[in-house]
Amino acid sequence: MSDKSKVETTGHQWDDDEGYPLKEYNNPLPKWWLYTFYATIIWAFVYWFFYPTWPMVDDYTRGLLGWSMHKQLEEEMAEAQVQQKPFNDRLEQMSLTDITRDPQLQQYAISGGKAIFGDNCAPCHGSGGVGSLAGGFPVLVDDDWLISGTIEGIQETIKTGHTAMMPAHQKEFGGAFTPSQVDDLAAYVLSLSGREGDKEAQARGGVLFKGDAGCVGCHGDNGKGSAKDTSGGSPMEKTVGAPNLTDGIWLYGGDAAAVRLSIAKGRSGRMPAWSVGSEGLNRKLSPLDVKQVAVYVHSLGGGQ
Amino acid sequence: MITQRVETEKYDYDVVKLFTIMSVVYGIVGFLIGVIIALELAFPELNGGIPYISFGRLRPLHTSAVIFAFGGSVLFATSYYVVQRTCKARLFSDFLSRLTFWGWNLVIVGAVVTYPLGLTQGKEYAETIWPIDILITVVWVAYFINFVGTLAKRKERHIYVANWFYLAFIITVAMLHIVNSLAIPVNLTDSYSIYPGVQDAMIQWWYGHNAVGFFLTAAFLGLMYYFVPKQAERPVYSYRLSIVHFWALAFLYIWAGPHHLHYTALPDWASTLGATFSIMLLLPSWGGMINGIMTLSGAWDKLRTDPILRFFIISLSFYGMSTFEGPMMSIKSVNALSHYTDWTVGHVHSGALGWVAMVSFGAIYHLVPKLWGTTTWSVRLINVHFWMATIGIVIYIVSMWISGVMQGLMWRAYDHYGNLTYSFAETVGAMHPYYAFRAVGGIIFLLGALLMAFNVIKTIGNKTVSTARVG
Repeated sequence: MSDKSKVETTGHQWDDDEGYPLKEYNNPLPKWWLYTFYATIIWAFVYWFFYPTWPMVDDYTRGLLGWSMHKQLEEEMAEAQVQQKPFNDRLEQMSLTDITRDPQLQQYAISGGKAIFGDNCAPCHGSGGVGSLAGGFPVLVDDDWLISGTIEGIQETIKTGHTAMMPAHQKEFGGAFTPSQVDDLAAYVLSLSGREGDKEAQARGGVLFKGDAGCVGCHGDNGKGSAKDTSGGSPMEKTVGAPNLTDGIWLYGGDAAAVRLSIAKGRSGRMPAWSVGSEGLNRKLSPLDVKQVAVYVHSLGGGQ
Repeated sequence: MITQRVETEKYDYDVVKLFTIMSVVYGIVGFLIGVIIALELAFPELNGGIPYISFGRLRPLHTSAVIFAFGGSVLFATSYYVVQRTCKARLFSDFLSRLTFWGWNLVIVGAVVTYPLGLTQGKEYAETIWPIDILITVVWVAYFINFVGTLAKRKERHIYVANWFYLAFIITVAMLHIVNSLAIPVNLTDSYSIYPGVQDAMIQWWYGHNAVGFFLTAAFLGLMYYFVPKQAERPVYSYRLSIVHFWALAFLYIWAGPHHLHYTALPDWASTLGATFSIMLLLPSWGGMINGIMTLSGAWDKLRTDPILRFFIISLSFYGMSTFEGPMMSIKSVNALSHYTDWTVGHVHSGALGWVAMVSFGAIYHLVPKLWGTTTWSVRLINVHFWMATIGIVIYIVSMWISGVMQGLMWRAYDHYGNLTYSFAETVGAMHPYYAFRAVGGIIFLLGALLMAFNVIKTIGNKTVSTARVG
């Protein structure tokens, strides 16, 4: 530990009662340190000439480049708009069916629709429309549609939204039936998709389903719902959005308890309206956005 | 032992002991909460739906626990120790020393009670509600009087460099805390900041950045200026450099805050000005690193045997790295990528774990045997702690760098049609593995701190041993 430094200490000494006393060399400032420090100062001065920096009395120094963050944003947005405008112009004019017939335009709409879907629709419908673990939000990648699976129908649903109106049936929740009658209804509904159960309960439930409970009003005589094949029953109003009870696909879970709960308490799932009202007021998506999302959702696999 | 007894009468070591013990306790508490919230980010269901332990409420508890409880206790302990020994004078007032200890702990208890209940004034790193803010002010003024009073009655002609840094820290933090917390109370727990809109943001980041500058940088440089030469048994490299970088640091740091507000409602000129001062701040910050590392030069062989010096050298390395990274991140074009991402989190932790915590661990290991007049129970355990802390930090920082840069790039990724490639949820999903890695790094770091606590307890109880026991 020979001390090769030529520099003397300052001669001051502290804390010398015990252990090694504190002393200080007086080495000169390292040259590289000093010159780099000067360089950063010069850099700052140069930067001040080019960019807005110093506040003045009622303005600030604007800088030679005329840069501002708002200008930068405008320029970058303008650049993006130049790129997208030809596509958007055609999208606005063409019908949805025609768009799907033009592969390039369809790809463009899917690209835009995916971006919009990811930040607006995915929170409920899941990334890529695969549904939510929490349940109650329709899967969009299959061919089971509550309201409509056509591209126009999808567009309309996104635009105006939909609120389900499955009423409560059990007395304590505002319905008209006893708990055991609800049990019977649940047994019957489960039997529609081929589930085993108490035959007598199913029979009693069937009577209620087609009679006093009024289920057929929405779900149809055959329980096939409103957007489904209605052969063998009376045709239903499609926009009611009542699910098909015979296909084993369940929005709120298919176990007996979940089905019973749906009947007892009712369900009022709500798809928001994304494009009604005026811009800036309640209108989250523009008509062009909705068109792109419709093309995207229709392309997910189940579009009709 | 006789000299030891003389010294305990000459100096007030009791308050130093109290703060040293609390710094170990609060370090573990702060790191533990950090690990919990790191796990909550990786696995959100871990909060069990309980609001009191949700991320949003525990996060300020973590930052306050590590900065103000752990860091604050380390600074109280070391500044009281250093100022007495370098001034050859007992602390100015035993009453004020006790007031700062119990007052500061009361502040921490206040934060621990209020944050989980959701009581906060909503300012980052200054969340405490107004009654606690007043208590902080009282404690801080007492600290100032006690410190300056000790300097005034010093028996050495010259004031040692460590004390300049401690004093700059005490004065500036008082100013920052009072100005930033000015508010009109509406009831016992709520208040409104006196600054409207963007001016509030500006004041907040003036506070926030200089809390980093003076609490976590200047004050710990003061600590470094005492403990590094003392442990290395070498003179400080350059008195001249210490003067120049002290004044340059103090002058330049105070301007840099607005670089936290690039591309916000803050006018262009303010954030640009802040960024240029951040660039000019790089070399003054490095002055402390150079002085510390060059002080060790000529004593490199000691790194082989002295794990305490290893803590110091690695802390100075992390200090140099994060004070380089900071100015780079203040440049607009870099900030446009890094802002709001985990990169910032990684940067902060390379400073907080790498610099602040490591230099503090070194100081605690140096202090404890001196204060209690014992020898270190296990040097080997210090070495194990050193490696666990280092590995933990590296895992933490690398995870956050990758996660942060990836996050920033995913946010700005466009496809060839000019549409965003990724939704926000997809970027969150992509970060998951890095969040899990980060928690692993934090757990290793926490376990290292538990080893330190064990070693400290054993060292305090090591009274009978009079010769150094290695391993």
